[in-house]
Amino acid sequence: MNMLQACLLLSSALFCIGLVTALSRSNTILVLLGIEIMLNAANLNFIAFWRFSPAGSAPATGVIFVLFSIAVAAAEAAVWLALVIALYRHQQNIRLQEATRLKG
Amino acid sequence: MTTNYPELFCAFAGEASLVLGMLVVLGYDLTVGRKRSPTERWQASCILGGAALFSALVVGLRVGVVGPVLGGEFMLDALGVGTRAAVLVLAGLTLMLTAGTARLRNPAEFVAIVLLAATGFSLMAVAQQLLVAFLALELASLSLYVLAGFDKTRPESAEAALKYFLFGGMSAAFLLFGFSLLYGLTGSIDTSAIAAALAAQGSSPLLSVALVMVLVAFGFKAAAAPFHLWAPDVYQGAPATSAALIASASKLAGLTFFVRLLWPGLGYATGDVALRHFSPGWLAVVALLSAASLLVGNFGALAQSNLRRLLAYSAIAHAGALLLGVMAAGTAGPAPLYFYAATYGLATVGAFGVVAVLEAAGVGPQIADLAGLYRRSPLLAGCLFIFILSLAGIPPLAGFFGKFAVFAAALNFGGLASVTGWLAFAAIFLSAVALYYYLRVLKQALVAPPAPGADGRIAVPGAAALALLLAALLLVVLGVFPSLLLQIFS
Repeated sequence: MNMLQACLLLSSALFCIGLVTALSRSNTILVLLGIEIMLNAANLNFIAFWRFSPAGSAPATGVIFVLFSIAVAAAEAAVWLALVIALYRHQQNIRLQEATRLKG
Repeated sequence: MTTNYPELFCAFAGEASLVLGMLVVLGYDLTVGRKRSPTERWQASCILGGAALFSALVVGLRVGVVGPVLGGEFMLDALGVGTRAAVLVLAGLTLMLTAGTARLRNPAEFVAIVLLAATGFSLMAVAQQLLVAFLALELASLSLYVLAGFDKTRPESAEAALKYFLFGGMSAAFLLFGFSLLYGLTGSIDTSAIAAALAAQGSSPLLSVALVMVLVAFGFKAAAAPFHLWAPDVYQGAPATSAALIASASKLAGLTFFVRLLWPGLGYATGDVALRHFSPGWLAVVALLSAASLLVGNFGALAQSNLRRLLAYSAIAHAGALLLGVMAAGTAGPAPLYFYAATYGLATVGAFGVVAVLEAAGVGPQIADLAGLYRRSPLLAGCLFIFILSLAGIPPLAGFFGKFAVFAAALNFGGLASVTGWLAFAAIFLSAVALYYYLRVLKQALVAPPAPGADGRIAVPGAAALALLLAALLLVVLGVFPSLLLQIFS
């Protein structure tokens, strides 16, 4: 198994862990954590493809993509925390199970 | 690649004016506006924001169709220019409705975020490179999450924004992962280079995974079943004008972005849905999404008693028809899809505008609360009549022609006895189901007498009335003269 395959396996595993975390946790902060892990799995993919793949010998496209996506993830975290605070003000906790006003 | 900065500035002067307008709105409110009354602040912010949108629209139309910009990173073709103009018009209508109806705090912030979202939409419409497309999508999405949660006084708004973010964040992660696999397979993030590399190397399991990941994000953005679960909650909980923007401009920009990615970029992996020579590809997956959306949307809407949720399920049903247009874009070009999505956006903004005016006047969100609208406010009832009939696809309104163009293109795409042909027939039959729930709304508004105790007149603010009349007029004009919009494609 070469290094690229190992990296891809690792990133796939991270993506699955993140997905399961995001789907199964009821604490909104932990859900954000899961989404961030999924994003970082994709980032790892970009770096791995850029570093190891013969096709990725072009200029530093993969790395630049990762830099931007880290910035996007930071912006996402900021918006998410603002929304979590907005929810906390109304229901005094951040459990997703209790956010059930909208249904039908 | 040499960067031609004057050319780049020319092509993106519209976006520059949007960002500049955002800064002006915030700066004005911070310095002059904070000493004024809330009404004056709303008016000033909306006028400044409207001016920025208008100048962006004028600049964008003056640049016109110039083809690839910056070595093909952006594509200012007819679809791009048309989508840009349409999202700016939709955002402008949203601002006019907000000016008349919203009683939110922080007017300047609301307008600034609408402008940021419009910047994201208009970049999504022209981006041809994965990185720019991803950034534009995230700019638009993050702005929309904030807009959905803007009403801090209502717990529903916070909950809607949280649910929207939960689905949106996960779909962004799926999209990024799919993009990373595409980059790994082809070594490039340029749509044209990806297409060339995929044609050279053939299909692979990795490509299928990448396709599925990208399509999950697409399904979310278009509110297609089974990724539709956020839509009813967000449409119900968000402030009405935010919901209008989420339902209209965001959908149009997302469809443009994905039709650009799927046909020219991933055209090799299209697959075939004809019965004799079926081969796997994204076409089959999109057909499944389309069928599921048509069924879930139309039958889900039957059970709704809340007008906003009804509009959400109708949006899901329309997403099914729009996905048909995405499939048919292979042979018919994007013109039918664009026309459908743009006129659907107009009708939805109008319908949510009516909801916004009603809620500002204290009329409840249920369909039953519409009773006697024709007496309480003939203007609202008349506009609602046009919007709902356009959504249902009744001639001579624009919704009919959009449906007609998309279904005709879908029938042409694979012939009658193909999956797209069947889907087009299913969509036509389900339009009859749709007519039932649309007419239920109109029956309450136009026929039922006002409930006792709730028969006072409803005052419609000037700006909102203007926006509603403008949207209704556009729907009628585009329905009678569809070539006004379609001529940019010829």
